[in-house]
Amino acid sequence: MIGKTIFKYAFRSQARHIRRTVLSVVGVGIGTAMGILANCWIWGSEEMQIRAASESGAGHLKVIPVGWLETRENSLRLSDWEKALAEVRALPGVKRVSYRARANGLLAFGNRTSGMEVTGVDPDSERVFNRIVYKSGIEGRYLEAGDADKLVIGREIARQLKIGLDDDLMITISGKEEMKSAMLRVVGIIDTGSRELDSSVCHITLSDLERIIGIPGPTEVSILLNNYKQIESTRRLLAQELPEKNTVITWKESAPELAANAEGDKAFMNLLALIIVLVVGLGIMSAQLTAVMERRREFGILSALGMPGRQIVALILTEAFWVGIGGALIALALSAPIAYRLASRGVNISALMGGVKSFGGVLIDPVIYGDLGWWVIWYAFGVSLAATIAASLYPAWLAQKIDPAEALRRV
Amino acid sequence: MIGNDGNLLVSARGLTKVYRLGAIEAPALLGVDLEVKSGEFVSIVGPSGSGKTTLLNLIGALDSATGGELRVLGQDLSGLNRRERAELRLKYLGFVFQSYNLIPVLTARENVEFVLELQGVGRERSARAGEVLNELGLSEFADRRPLEMSGGQQQRVAVARAVASSPKLVLADEPTANLDGENAEILLHMMRRLRDEYGMTFIFSTHDPRVVEHAERVITLTDGRVAKDERHAPA
Ligand SMILES: Nc1ncnc2c1ncn2[C@@H]1O[C@H](COP(=O)(O)OP(=O)(O)O)[C@@H](O)[C@H]1O
Ligand SMILES: [Mg+2]
Repeated sequence: MIGKTIFKYAFRSQARHIRRTVLSVVGVGIGTAMGILANCWIWGSEEMQIRAASESGAGHLKVIPVGWLETRENSLRLSDWEKALAEVRALPGVKRVSYRARANGLLAFGNRTSGMEVTGVDPDSERVFNRIVYKSGIEGRYLEAGDADKLVIGREIARQLKIGLDDDLMITISGKEEMKSAMLRVVGIIDTGSRELDSSVCHITLSDLERIIGIPGPTEVSILLNNYKQIESTRRLLAQELPEKNTVITWKESAPELAANAEGDKAFMNLLALIIVLVVGLGIMSAQLTAVMERRREFGILSALGMPGRQIVALILTEAFWVGIGGALIALALSAPIAYRLASRGVNISALMGGVKSFGGVLIDPVIYGDLGWWVIWYAFGVSLAATIAASLYPAWLAQKIDPAEALRRV
Repeated sequence: MIGNDGNLLVSARGLTKVYRLGAIEAPALLGVDLEVKSGEFVSIVGPSGSGKTTLLNLIGALDSATGGELRVLGQDLSGLNRRERAELRLKYLGFVFQSYNLIPVLTARENVEFVLELQGVGRERSARAGEVLNELGLSEFADRRPLEMSGGQQQRVAVARAVASSPKLVLADEPTANLDGENAEILLHMMRRLRDEYGMTFIFSTHDPRVVEHAERVITLTDGRVAKDERHAPA
């Protein structure tokens, strides 16, 4: 429908008001570049948050007993957990797996006590799965397979209870029907750098926990995937395989505070991008309206010659197309160096976080790396063209409505 | 009778046009009767405000009448909607306006090509545009843009564009108004030649007596009515 000559016509019309064209192209370019950078940042920070949450124990996915999410009842156990574990390990794209049981307990040393959630872990799995373990400083050592009556706690707990390495302390945990107690020896004190985490970490071996409370098996199996983009597809795959009384959740449900925070950031950035596009679009619309008014006689002549209205619309949209192409190129030129820097060097957000290193039980990375990929090119052309073409629809409609007799009368 | 005669290109009966500006009515044509046959070379003359532009706009399907009957090329124009009128103009009529006829960003050849493209002419349109310009002695301007041509040259290219697809009827509203005597002469000779060689019908308005000289038929409008309609031996 758009002929070759119309294409030329639209292209050369860009040179008629060089200044206006340049301003439009640069305006679209800057707006689109800001959108690119906002996305580069927000997708990068989403990636970081997913990585942080999943590596802080939650995994990308977690298999739990039905009902645990609603009740957080720590006496619940996975049904047929060995089969569930085997199924998880057989899934494609699984990088690491760890399994744990949880219990509410009370630590006592002398006359000092501290209540907390005790986690029973498989030491070899947990050591490579959980960044709270492998990224933190540790005084002494972490748990090892075969450890019995050993305990690793956070620095803050040690400080409160005034205990050190090799001290024995009394742990009391609610068992099946009654409270059970045992004496455990501190073999490691963990320094995560976050007060929140340092006052909540309390790891013993899963076999110790099973023995103390008399309930066998883990409460959860956490899964780290090679690629976080496969969370949903893997979740669906796994959900079909699991025994009826088990269910699978994502990191968003395991770390709801962080997920809500990430969603909020994303919504804010999307809103910002939308506002930018709207403002740029209105600018383009006003430039296009001015152009249509100035070219009334020209459009009148086109219409007089018999050019159909839809072709006049096509002409103006083609003119917008060229502005959009120019805007996309400017956007890429402006944003690429910054996005590249964001992606390669990252931005250290620890100052922004005011020294806080964890959020909702998740050990956060201090550096966010922007997300940079081929999407930038699609985004630049998509947003720039969509904004300019959408902004030109109304001016184009006005242009094709111009009455030829009326327009020709005014010389 | 009307429209059945293959020779009759334009036929108007009691044609009226009243412009409305809010409550004010401005009558421009007060009942025009007119017949133009194929191959005629007609000039419409009359003082400013007598209704020349209005009449040409109605015949050219650029505007619609408020009363009377008007058939052009056998079509009753009152029955056509906006889109159909545009189609009629594109396919069957040629137009030359007083000034700024050409698309400023396209060369002479591209201006001709553009209209052929709109008319759906395929790949041969570029060659065709070149031929038309050549035929009319305008090949030296083919690659110039309007701003690189004089007013007279621009009007000649506009005529070339109007006749490129061999329309039956060419309408020109004061095509020489912005030209000097010599250029007006050249333009009129060109139009005459097209009529003589291809049998194209021309209706043009003017208030320049030297241009009227070239017409074979002169219709004089006064206050929206045909005051005189006479045969004329062209100079
Ligand atoms: N769009 C319009 N609105 C109101 N009056 C008009 C309009 N166009 C033309 N007229 C009036 O109609 C009459 C005829 O005008 P026109 O056809 O332009 O005459 P001419 O071309 O002979 O000078 C004039 O009185 C003019 O003022
Ligand atoms: Mg006039």
